[in-house]
Amino acid sequence: MKSSHFKIYLTLLFCIASFTQYASGSTQHSQPSDSVSDTTTDRLTPFERRQLKYRQRWDNLIPKYTKAQFAGGMGLISVGPGWEYGKNRQWETDLLFGIIPKHSSKKARVTMTLKQNFTLWNLPLKGNFSVDPLSTGIYVNTVFGGEFWNRNPDKYPKGYYWFSTRMRIHAFVGQRLRFTIPSERRRYSTYITAFYELSTCDLYIIQAVRNSYLKPKDYLRLSFGLKFNFF
Amino acid sequence: MGKNLFLSIITAFIFSSCDMLECHPYDVNISGERGITHKNIGLIESATAGHTSLRFAMISDTQGWYDDTEDAVKAINKEEGLDFVLHGGDLSDYGMPKEFTMQRDILNKLNVPYLCVIGNHDCLGTGKEAYSAVFGPTNFAFTAGNVRFICLNTNALEYDYAEPIPDFGFMQRELSEIPPEVQKTVLLMHVKPFEMVFNNNVAHAFEAYVNEFPAVQFCLYGHEHKFQADDLFDDGVIYYQCPNIARRQYLIFTINDDNTHQYEIKSF
Repeated sequence: MKSSHFKIYLTLLFCIASFTQYASGSTQHSQPSDSVSDTTTDRLTPFERRQLKYRQRWDNLIPKYTKAQFAGGMGLISVGPGWEYGKNRQWETDLLFGIIPKHSSKKARVTMTLKQNFTLWNLPLKGNFSVDPLSTGIYVNTVFGGEFWNRNPDKYPKGYYWFSTRMRIHAFVGQRLRFTIPSERRRYSTYITAFYELSTCDLYIIQAVRNSYLKPKDYLRLSFGLKFNFF
Repeated sequence: MGKNLFLSIITAFIFSSCDMLECHPYDVNISGERGITHKNIGLIESATAGHTSLRFAMISDTQGWYDDTEDAVKAINKEEGLDFVLHGGDLSDYGMPKEFTMQRDILNKLNVPYLCVIGNHDCLGTGKEAYSAVFGPTNFAFTAGNVRFICLNTNALEYDYAEPIPDFGFMQRELSEIPPEVQKTVLLMHVKPFEMVFNNNVAHAFEAYVNEFPAVQFCLYGHEHKFQADDLFDDGVIYYQCPNIARRQYLIFTINDDNTHQYEIKSF
């Protein structure tokens, strides 16, 4: 069960990587290196050129940023790398690992989240600030621990419980504020983005649709985060 | 004035957003009241001490039906002379802590104390831990008047034989410590014997233990979402099933001082 999960995640990551290459081909690689590579690649043998291509392709797998998110159904704190792509870097994919504290449970738990973000537009503000008035997306969260399952364990008759206790699908909308660090003062980041999100998950939606008893505070979840761009 | 209004809006927002900051739907971070079972047993025992007749309501399987549960609470609050309310388990659909706290908040509006046994859905994910935090132990007993109520976890399928379900050790201890005022017994569980979730290898052993208790009046259960009254073991002990709350029904039981009892099916 678990290994099949990882396969899905890895496949998705490779899809993202190859997509990243096509999307960012015009912006990231060609511009600064064209003048150099035109002359240098001419001198390369076909095999060396293949090697270069191969390296460039794998380079796309290098995460572009690190994101940390507080709450939102993915742990008290979850941290992980991410990739951004698209003409205006409007698409983002995060792979986040989070910790659920023990609280009244027997143990703390680890979760993993694959998050797909889409930022609609970016508005420049004064100075080095800019704002993303609307970002949205979905994320899939999986929680580790023997008590959670995706499909009913064999002890149950087929389809006894229709849902997965391990995997949750969340949807969110949010806003972001971005601060671009002046190039002379850059140490670890090119820019830092602070954001908040309102999210809900599949099972909360089902209960909210069926019951007027549930108010927004019962099915909407708030979270905050920071994104540190390295590229 | 405007500043005060602004401040109160901000505080209200911060307080509601605290609940909205959630680590995970299965994070057992319980807000609000805990230990309901212990508290309500105290209330029931002191209010019914010395009584020789009882009247109580039963609801069951309220999972995911918050609106219907709210209506049931309103209807039950109009009943006269109730001593307490029993819940036959399955407060939650998915075992998420939020489900338990929402159900608790609805049931807390009952005019009389209530007690809930654990259902099979309540065992999913971190549900067992959430149930224990909000309500208490999954096996418990209390005395109402001269009747001992034995409330049992019978969801054997959810425990993989890692814990004894039903717990004969608990039943044995209860048998050895029957309070002197007790003359009758009622048993409450979520799943009845012979249902798939029950440990049917010990169904007849269970019957033997049940019949050890003084003057067993009847057994109560839920789980199958319909009303039923059967003499399951042909031993004269009737097992009454309480319908799920979506059927918009609850049961009223009256235990008289002459060893008889009546039940009513109430619709709302």
